[in-house]
Amino acid sequence: MVLQSELVARWADSKKLAFIGDGDAISVCVAYLQKREILNYGPSEIVVFDFDERICGAVTRFADRERLTQLRAKLYNCLDAFPGPLNFDCFYTNPPWGASNEGESVKVFVQRGMEATSYQGEGMVVIADDIDLEWPKRVLANVQQFIIASGFFVQRMMPQLHRYHLDDAPDLRSCNLLIKALPGNKASGTSLVISDSARLAHFYGRDNPPRVHYIRERKRLDYGMAHDDEYSLELLE
Amino acid sequence: MSIILKPGQGLIYMKVGTHAQESLDAIIARKTREIEQAGFALWGYGGSTCHPQTMVQPFVRSFEQRGQIIYLCMQPMESSHFAEPIRAEEYSVDDVDWQPIPPAISVLGSRYALAIRQLRREEFDLPLAKTKVALGNSMGSNGDRYISGRVDKACLEITDEIDAPLVVDPKVHIGLVAEIVKPYAVYVRNAPPKSKEHG
Repeated sequence: MVLQSELVARWADSKKLAFIGDGDAISVCVAYLQKREILNYGPSEIVVFDFDERICGAVTRFADRERLTQLRAKLYNCLDAFPGPLNFDCFYTNPPWGASNEGESVKVFVQRGMEATSYQGEGMVVIADDIDLEWPKRVLANVQQFIIASGFFVQRMMPQLHRYHLDDAPDLRSCNLLIKALPGNKASGTSLVISDSARLAHFYGRDNPPRVHYIRERKRLDYGMAHDDEYSLELLE
Repeated sequence: MSIILKPGQGLIYMKVGTHAQESLDAIIARKTREIEQAGFALWGYGGSTCHPQTMVQPFVRSFEQRGQIIYLCMQPMESSHFAEPIRAEEYSVDDVDWQPIPPAISVLGSRYALAIRQLRREEFDLPLAKTKVALGNSMGSNGDRYISGRVDKACLEITDEIDAPLVVDPKVHIGLVAEIVKPYAVYVRNAPPKSKEHG
């Protein structure tokens, strides 16, 4: 995570960076490494777009506590039209990897990232990349075709760079796919809701279309403390 | 009916042993009674390699559409499992709508459960090298390589090599089988979350 965060900080130095989802908290790491002067470079602005209010809340609280003025979060589901702003220089996404839908779920997140830059910026896409398995190769090919069809090109690929602690895929690796808009590229239209059932049928795995619009956080006054339904007090006699 | 291993056959493989401080023999006896009383039992487990909604449900559904019965093929082993034997009170197929677990059925110390019937002791060797992971992020991985380290269960499909002899042919010994029935796999929880009343 530190290596990835350093890479992102360097890649997006002095730029406006949109995170299209951020379950890994790379956004927070990037901002914090810069704030603590471990890195003397990094994005000028980071906005995390995520449908999980707990993630948005955690980013906001951490940014507030650590005075990370360049970091903020916005509740957003990538199936909705992108709310803007549309003047980001670059985007970062580590989407559902699309094993069951030939990369369609990756394309949705990448599309929103492109929209965030008005189809004129750069993107870093974390995507499965495995020597042995067939499906990541098909997904990589489909996503690259989508990228090119959208007026972008693949600037660089950092193959088999990461490995996660996934119970169901302990050896699966992923790459960074760095993309950039062609000169003069423009959006083909405004951002729209994605509701095509064929596109969404296997979004989160086989026969698992999206069902949740937002994951809502149960607000608590005692945030950060152990939840009081996890324990009881046995008092002294 | 004995299980016949043929190309394209789907199965759920699982290592089993002591669970939530209860021996395997005691679990088998209890689950057998549950099937007699309720018509099915819920076989508790954990871990995401056989996640109810993203793995087991679509896996069994797709093979049932091909006319197959999916069997749970269990490899008994010595193990210890110190989870608290807390009984789950509710189950859900989608983690949204929850139903009470029938009184005849007890799932102890688990997050998920498979719906089973026809639980029986049946002995055969399963050549994991001639299986592949049927879905998910490891789809296509060789079963023998996949079942290693911390991975102890998987949704597998028998490959075309099942009939071909191999020099090195690692097998696991299955000692217990059951038939997977609707709703295939479910989430379980011990109590619904309580929302606080504020004055």
